[in-house]
Amino acid sequence: MIEAKGVYLVYGNGTEALKDVNLKIEKGDIVYITGPSGSGKTSLLKLFMGIEYPTKGELKVLDLPIIKEEENNIRKLRRLIGPVFQEFKLIKGRTALENVMLGLRFLNLPHRKIKEESIMALEKVGLGHKRDSLVEHLSFGETQRVAIARAVVRKPAIILADEPTGNLDIDNALNIMNLLTSFRDEDTAVIITTHATHLLEDRVEGKFIKVNNGVIAVESRGEA
Amino acid sequence: MKNFISNLGYFLKEARTIFRIDFLSNVFSIFSIGLVFFILSMVISGWWISKEVVEVLQKEAEINIYFEENLEDLRIYNLMENIKNIKGVREAKLVDREESYRRMEEILDKEARILELFDENPFQPFIEVKIDIEQVDEILEDIKSLEDIDYIRDNKDIIDKLQKIITVLTIVGLLIITATGISTLVVISHIIRQGIYNNRDQINTLKLLGAPDSFIGFPFLLEGLFLTLVGGILAFGLIFFTFKLGYEQIGTALLFVPLPNMEVLVKTIGSFILILSGILGIIGSFFGLSSAKGN
Repeated sequence: MIEAKGVYLVYGNGTEALKDVNLKIEKGDIVYITGPSGSGKTSLLKLFMGIEYPTKGELKVLDLPIIKEEENNIRKLRRLIGPVFQEFKLIKGRTALENVMLGLRFLNLPHRKIKEESIMALEKVGLGHKRDSLVEHLSFGETQRVAIARAVVRKPAIILADEPTGNLDIDNALNIMNLLTSFRDEDTAVIITTHATHLLEDRVEGKFIKVNNGVIAVESRGEA
Repeated sequence: MKNFISNLGYFLKEARTIFRIDFLSNVFSIFSIGLVFFILSMVISGWWISKEVVEVLQKEAEINIYFEENLEDLRIYNLMENIKNIKGVREAKLVDREESYRRMEEILDKEARILELFDENPFQPFIEVKIDIEQVDEILEDIKSLEDIDYIRDNKDIIDKLQKIITVLTIVGLLIITATGISTLVVISHIIRQGIYNNRDQINTLKLLGAPDSFIGFPFLLEGLFLTLVGGILAFGLIFFTFKLGYEQIGTALLFVPLPNMEVLVKTIGSFILILSGILGIIGSFFGLSSAKGN
């Protein structure tokens, strides 16, 4: 599903964000990427989404090579991924439902199907009753759930969540973490970045990738 | 296509939202575009009216041939036959003294009393020759070579001046059409770029979700089309009222000017402006989208 071999990422200003990344993520994996701020977690997700390209090494996501020359493939790849952005990136002035529907609009589905799937996704994240509310009228936690609904509505092969627990108290953070991992199935991998390692102490399964100064270390727990 | 149709409602709604985000600026743009199209319409109308006037005058182009006094009827008849045989002559008609007098009375209207001061009819008979204006030089040469001719009066100077005016008007008209077209394209593409800039976060999100460029750009294209079409309709309204007023004023003041039918003029110019506004709206939007793509 995701395979990185000797991947380096160096930004234009010379900052070496990732060094010699080697990893393999399979279908149905739950992956937690941890590390302090600025360690390279988000850079890793950016590579997976084709927002950045490896400076050196080889990276394949869903069998598509992440290289600058493959811009059309990158677009296709992004349609197979369900991203939950750190700052949510919801469209203001639109309702929760409209934002979720946006995740499906360009996937050649009939309008009715788009609407039905979006309502179901909102119900799954517990926001069925708020579907007609404008996103700017929702609370922080609700906004985050809309972002999750938009990511999962397209039944993606990979759910990528960048710091989804960022500004939440421990109970809400655990709820979000559990909500996200609940979408993992045999065809869907869930990848979550967080700097809050205490949230992972009780996790008994998954791949744990620690990123420090651009260098990664992978530890596997349980069956997943 | 199926995807496009199922998203049509979304595209329209997005275009409306984009319009609302920068509402005042867009309203001013509509007025600017409307005025640009109005100026264009006026130039085209002016060009059309002058062309029509010249065409009518050209059809009426005639030269008057005065023959020697006391010329016998047979020789007058022969002279007329010779004139009729000249290439470019459409019609030759004898206007006798009485007819000349009557025509002058008509021209002078209330001032015709002045003619009563003459003891005798002061006018001479002449041959009125309708000609093809483009062959006026050759016709005049041929007529001059005929016998029994005393004097030829042509209106060539006036016709030449009118033709020069229409040439200048055509050039100026084309320049203004080009300038207007470019201005509209610049205004539209700038508005689209502005809209893209105002919605950059949304566009970025759509890109991250994998939306194709056509999906992202279509609402902006609709917005550009809407702005120019509304501008075109505004110009159409202005044209209608201006022409109505203009025809009422000019039509009564300058009865001798053969104006084209107002309804035909308004319909033709209005349709042209509406079609042009649609075309420029689409082209301008494409310019705006492609110039913003790199950013």
